[in-house]
Amino acid sequence: MIERMCMPEARVGKAKANTILAALLRPFLVISAALREIFDESAYQRFLDRTHLKSSPSAYAVFCQENEQGKSRRPRCC
Amino acid sequence: MPKVLRVLLWIAVSLLGALALATIAFHRGEQINALWLVIAAVCAYAVGYRFYSGFISAKVLVLDPMRATPAERLDNGRDFVPTNKWVVFGHHFAAIAGPGPLVGPVLAAQFGYLPGTLWIIAGAVLAGCVQDFVILLLSVRRDGKSLTEMAKSEIGRVGGVVAYLAVLSIIVILLAVTALIVVNALKSSPWGTFTIAMTMPIAVLMGLYLRRIRPGKVLETSMLGFVLVLAAIFGGQWVSQTPSWAAFFTLAAPTLAILIIVYGFAASALPVWLLLAPRDYLSTFVKLGTISLLAVGIILLRPSLHMPPLTRFADGTGPIFAGKIFPFAFITIACGAISGFHSLISSGTTPKLIRGEKETRLVGYGGMIAESMVAVMAMIAASVLQPGVYFAVNSPAGIVGQAPDAAATTISSWGFPVTAAQMATLAHAVGEQTLFNRTGGAPAFAVGMAQIFSSTLGGQAVMAIWYHFAIMFEALFILTILDAGTRVGRFMLQDALGHLWKPLGRTSWYPSILLTSAFVVAAWGYFLWQGIKDPLGGINSLWPLFGICNQLLATVALCVATTIIVKMARAKVKVGRLRYAFVTLIPLFWLVAVTFTASWHKILDPNARVGFLAHANQLAAAGGNPRLIFNDHLDAAVTGALVVMVTMILIESTVECLRVISGSKSAITKETPFVVTKFATEEQA
Repeated sequence: MIERMCMPEARVGKAKANTILAALLRPFLVISAALREIFDESAYQRFLDRTHLKSSPSAYAVFCQENEQGKSRRPRCC
Repeated sequence: MPKVLRVLLWIAVSLLGALALATIAFHRGEQINALWLVIAAVCAYAVGYRFYSGFISAKVLVLDPMRATPAERLDNGRDFVPTNKWVVFGHHFAAIAGPGPLVGPVLAAQFGYLPGTLWIIAGAVLAGCVQDFVILLLSVRRDGKSLTEMAKSEIGRVGGVVAYLAVLSIIVILLAVTALIVVNALKSSPWGTFTIAMTMPIAVLMGLYLRRIRPGKVLETSMLGFVLVLAAIFGGQWVSQTPSWAAFFTLAAPTLAILIIVYGFAASALPVWLLLAPRDYLSTFVKLGTISLLAVGIILLRPSLHMPPLTRFADGTGPIFAGKIFPFAFITIACGAISGFHSLISSGTTPKLIRGEKETRLVGYGGMIAESMVAVMAMIAASVLQPGVYFAVNSPAGIVGQAPDAAATTISSWGFPVTAAQMATLAHAVGEQTLFNRTGGAPAFAVGMAQIFSSTLGGQAVMAIWYHFAIMFEALFILTILDAGTRVGRFMLQDALGHLWKPLGRTSWYPSILLTSAFVVAAWGYFLWQGIKDPLGGINSLWPLFGICNQLLATVALCVATTIIVKMARAKVKVGRLRYAFVTLIPLFWLVAVTFTASWHKILDPNARVGFLAHANQLAAAGGNPRLIFNDHLDAAVTGALVVMVTMILIESTVECLRVISGSKSAITKETPFVVTKFATEEQA
């Protein structure tokens, strides 16, 4: 509060705008993260991080092979 | 927000919900707006989530924000990954959303929109959401154990075996009935068949793009695939209007059934990653997009419901499936209110992603609310149709007659006027040769969806596109369920056979793969064949059988949940009082009443349209086809076997609870030991 009182008016306005922008963007970021998880893009990223590989056709082939067994056993809902 | 304002807000939500429910329940004579159903559902879900799930969280399960979840303790970046709660919510919803909540309400609309809608709302709030939430939390507290493992460890060996057999049975019946829906949607439809056939090369292209050009860019690839599918829908129109091509893609039901059976076997037995994985992504993409589109469409366009709240078929003489509202409306709605299958997802992938115990409420209870909302939308899509049109599409030829004029006369005599000319115009508008006898629910849903959208977006000119888009959407994700389900069934069978002879359990041993794939495909293929040969349309016998299987699996899940809650209460691990077991006991009693009554009717009812044995006797007396008589006996035997199995788990669970309550057995739950979460301290810091 004290910090904000010391801020020039323009900076307070900018900070407020940033907060509003972040709040507006948040749902889109969450939806994007959910889609990345549903479509296994996050899983692939985690695989790359874990194995220290760079994204490439061969790395993706290894990832698919690793994932296939687990995925095949997942039941699909009615 | 100040407390007074919050109280006022919740009073307003409750009153609005009550007003909407009263409107849909007591409104007679005139059409009502679909938005009343949406308001009633949203308000009931909001109140249920805020208060009932809050009560379960605080008093029954006593969610502990300080307890580390398996995603945190066993984090391996693969199966166990602590994930944002909204991301897990999306993931969970994508996994539980299947064809059930779309098809069940469409079929149950034969009673009118009221019984189905009330059960979808009440069943979800008091039973379905509770089941998903409780099983998810119990699995989280047991390192993400599956339902069958929990049944084995908390109830006993019989519980484990019954849960396993119930899951395998439901997979077989589910695959048969969903395959039948696809066959009925695509038979004599060159446009639909072409579109679905095109998804195969599209998926292969997607697979190549994903593997060779843009590794890992699944969303981008799915969008490209979606554009190609849209092009295939437009191409389908050209195919249906070109006689030589139309003749090639006009297939009868038996041919389609054989093709689907061969596809199911190939998908299970061959290493076809190039086709299956991209199709799976494409299907999920289309599914999520279409459900969102339908939700937006209903809210923006606010269509009127033409179906009356209650029809004359409440007496059990319905043409789509025979049987009275109780128990058949509940059996038919199935997944829209409570689905046993969800307990497999809630004890499968989802618990391994949960970051904190408190998030199980949003994911488990909230995820089922979203699923139930899909069921309400399907009910709306069916109810916007003129009742005469709805019954013409959904009634089998064995009931209303094969000839369009005869069918229209029969349906009109029920008080739902429709003419053969009106149906011919509608069929022409949606690009089909006929819309009579298109049983299974999918075509009726597609016509309803096309009517909702074509009323503003593009008008009648694009009604055929909307219709075929809806057919493509349903057929695509049903085929994905078929190939994935067959593989899951194959793995389950291999796991079991591995106990008899080790090599049979090896998932990479080809003879075992071929044998178990053939067995699973033969099992659902037989029921599918039975369905297409059934003069009553197949859905009449198979959908109730599927509903009974599904609800019996929910009974198993609620047995497991109740037993654990009783143990927790006695052990005073978390729960203070035993009486809180009512949260799972009441839905359990209800499901036992519904499923056992339905099973009794399906096996022993003297009405040949309801009871399998009465139908077999009728056929035998008339010198009917021995195969049809055998099918009736088989259906009766399957239903009876399921009831016996669930009775066994009910008895074992009751005995276990009574022993724990009386003190003759110590109340030991198999929870993993408490470990403090790091996330809570991080957040505090």
